[in-house]
Amino acid sequence: MTPAGARTEVVARRGVHAARLAPALGYALIWLFLIVFLVYPLGRIFYDALTDESGRFTAAHFVAFVHDAFYLRSLANSLLLGLATVACTSVLGFAVAFLLVRYEFAGRNLFSYLTLIPIISPPLVGVLGFTFILGRAGTVNVLLMDWLDLVKPINFVYGIHGVLLVETLHLFPMIALNVVDALGKIDPSLEEAAESVGARGWRKLRTITLPLTTPGYVAGALLVFIWTFSDFATPLVLGVHDLLASQAYLNIVQFVDRRLFRMGIVISALMVVLALVFLLAARHYVAIKDYSSLSYSRISRRKLGPLGQAGAIGFLSAVMLLSFIPYLGVALASVGRGWSLTPFPVQYTLHSFERVIVETPKYIVNSLLYSGLAVAICILVGVPIAWLLGRTRVPGRDALDALNTLILAIPGTAIGIAYIRAFHVEVPGFDRALTSFWIIIPIVLAVRRLPYTVRGTYASLLLVHRSMEEAAASVGAPGLRAFRDITLPLIWRGVLVGSLFSFMTSLQEASAVLFLSLGGWETITVGIFSFYIAGSASEAAALGVILIVVASVSLIVINRIAGTRMGGMFG
Amino acid sequence: MNIRLLGIVKRFGSTVAVDHATVEVGDGELFTLLGPSGCGKTTLLRLIAGFYSPPDEGEIHFGDRRVEALPPYQRNIGMVFQNYALWPHMTVRGNITYGLRLRKLTADEIERRLADGLRQVNLVGLDDRYPGQLSGGQQQRVALARALVLNPDILLLDEPLSNLDAKIRVHVRGEIRKLQKELGITTIYVTHDQEEALSLSDRVAVMRDGKILQVAPPKTLYERPVNRFVADFVGTNNFISGVCRERTAERTLVETPLGRLAGRPADTVEVGARCVLAVRPENLALGGDGENVVEGRVSLAAYLGNTLRYDVETAAGLVLKVDVRDPWNHDPLPAGHAVRLTCPASVALTLPDE
Repeated sequence: MTPAGARTEVVARRGVHAARLAPALGYALIWLFLIVFLVYPLGRIFYDALTDESGRFTAAHFVAFVHDAFYLRSLANSLLLGLATVACTSVLGFAVAFLLVRYEFAGRNLFSYLTLIPIISPPLVGVLGFTFILGRAGTVNVLLMDWLDLVKPINFVYGIHGVLLVETLHLFPMIALNVVDALGKIDPSLEEAAESVGARGWRKLRTITLPLTTPGYVAGALLVFIWTFSDFATPLVLGVHDLLASQAYLNIVQFVDRRLFRMGIVISALMVVLALVFLLAARHYVAIKDYSSLSYSRISRRKLGPLGQAGAIGFLSAVMLLSFIPYLGVALASVGRGWSLTPFPVQYTLHSFERVIVETPKYIVNSLLYSGLAVAICILVGVPIAWLLGRTRVPGRDALDALNTLILAIPGTAIGIAYIRAFHVEVPGFDRALTSFWIIIPIVLAVRRLPYTVRGTYASLLLVHRSMEEAAASVGAPGLRAFRDITLPLIWRGVLVGSLFSFMTSLQEASAVLFLSLGGWETITVGIFSFYIAGSASEAAALGVILIVVASVSLIVINRIAGTRMGGMFG
Repeated sequence: MNIRLLGIVKRFGSTVAVDHATVEVGDGELFTLLGPSGCGKTTLLRLIAGFYSPPDEGEIHFGDRRVEALPPYQRNIGMVFQNYALWPHMTVRGNITYGLRLRKLTADEIERRLADGLRQVNLVGLDDRYPGQLSGGQQQRVALARALVLNPDILLLDEPLSNLDAKIRVHVRGEIRKLQKELGITTIYVTHDQEEALSLSDRVAVMRDGKILQVAPPKTLYERPVNRFVADFVGTNNFISGVCRERTAERTLVETPLGRLAGRPADTVEVGARCVLAVRPENLALGGDGENVVEGRVSLAAYLGNTLRYDVETAAGLVLKVDVRDPWNHDPLPAGHAVRLTCPASVALTLPDE
């Protein structure tokens, strides 16, 4: 549906009232935004991938891809890595979720907060922390070589197994939170009914409980897969190049070889297609857009015996300890000096912080500015979208819904490349392309993080019965007035939670921004990446610490407002 | 203010929710839309309120004003929702005065109307409570006050009592009726509860599948339903089907499996056509003589306090319900006991078969 078509139809349907022209115009603007900044760029990479230099249609690029053994291996590696990460995060996530929801043991509340910690740091920061502690010259290897007289350090992290480790520890909370959420919504009577007809223990779990958690689980698993699949920063730091995302990045950032550049576009188009295939498969399997019922039932937890308690606490502590490694590493590296071939830094200084905060404050300033603007756009576009989805039957509503889900699935790498290709043409009225204006960064962040705002808003909109607004209309409040006086005060928490989540994840965004960032626009994540690549590990770590602090604050605020019910966010 | 609905049609996709509804509601009347769930009664009410404006076809007139294309906030209606729809973030005062504030009335006027409204619904002193701190009955009255303080032309009530306990329901029902009479406000009331409809309405419209089947005062509706559906939906009825053999100005004679029975005259039933006789349980007598006599055996006796209801199985297998009023002085008959049922032709309605 074109925006103009949607608009005229809306108008025609409702009868032409001057008062209704404004909403129609707003609706058109939302579509304009989505078409210009989402549909067009994605279309553009497919156009590029399927045409030759003179613009003729050709499948030659894909043929070249298929005939290149290295690319094929990268594809296989990427798929394998994604599936392996899903498998590992699932085992870990389900175990953690079941323990937290179904059992009572000492420290359960503490652990349920700690579960959130891994998502505070983006993988890019996590991977740095791991290299400091588990790297060749990291703490653990230094200690082991000392104690056991090893000649060669053990390779804990460099290689695809390291990527798997880092991604798993970063992403398992996505599964855990979704499963916790789903378990919380299972009406206890469903399980009691199962028991009443004789299904107990493992059988009840397999036939009743697990199927009821699948929608939430599949949504989380899809995100884990896409995230791993499209992350190139983590593998590159760990020296892994034969992955699709890494290849896309490396091919694009070298501006020398046009053929390689084109190949980067082809790879990103392929990644979008694959992400779409997985999205559709997941959607076919469960209704992924089930934005969930919002009633949580009271859960009676089973008290664990002493042995069970010890087991549960031991397991969770081990997981949390592993998750803490990157924080420890980054924190030490940010204040450490002369940290090589010793288990811990020998000298401590705040010099790195001084450099990234006082000397070059641009990283922090840019990050806050861009993420702040991105959230503003998210609210401006996302709240109306949520309202349209929750309250109206306008033509194009389903398409809107589909696009919103699609965004979650599209790899950041692909979006970054799509923007480079789509917006290097001159903006009408200016003699420069959009890619040369810094506003493109907040825009790409807003598009990437839009679904969180939409979902947060939509979920709380579902709690506000339609009759609340109708009652306002019946006592004389026109639509917008009723929205301002009745709806908004009732949903602002949801909007705020969704927006804070958009904000936090915007700060963490690396992939799309790395492609688009030009000199002077560097954000914290771009800074971390370039400092680390340039060998200034301390500065990278200092920026990492700052990012973690800002994200923690956001998360604490979110938690205060929303409780721990964030699972729906990732669906 | 009177309301005229002319040929209202409302479709949702391929289903017709309201099918050519034409009805006129008089000034100050309490008019009830009655029907089973899904019959279109709420849809029709919402069309009158303006939540689906305009309808696919038809006209809505409030007095001299044609309103079907107007949004709700321009119709000057007051509405009470089934779930009350009180705004949880506003106090009782906030809820009731919201509409007044929108109208930019002076503070004094708002206070005066708030006080009046609270007095009307017996909620004086609760103005600073939030809806969550009120009982169901109190919430219901806040919703009513919110609608009434605006002095609406028309009051619309969508199953306003369905979320209340049985006892409170009867009480509030009486209050609503009293208030409505005092204010003389034209009111449309939606319910699926036929007892509620009979007890408080001036007139009732029975709906099914989007169509209005009959519009009548409660007494007429109960005693002279126009077809089998209405006879069945309102109150309890025994139906005996058969073929009309004779039709005179005084009565009809119907050939049924229970023999030849006499019913009230009906010009909707031709001689030779299939028809049903409808007899209410309270109009069937145990023993005695009458124009119609049916033999049977008691199969079940249900004691309801103010009545005793027998299921009597006749020779033809048809089960008839018979009420014995005032069961204080009646010893229940055991199952299997043979009984003779009688009734005069004047209480057996002859209705066309459907």
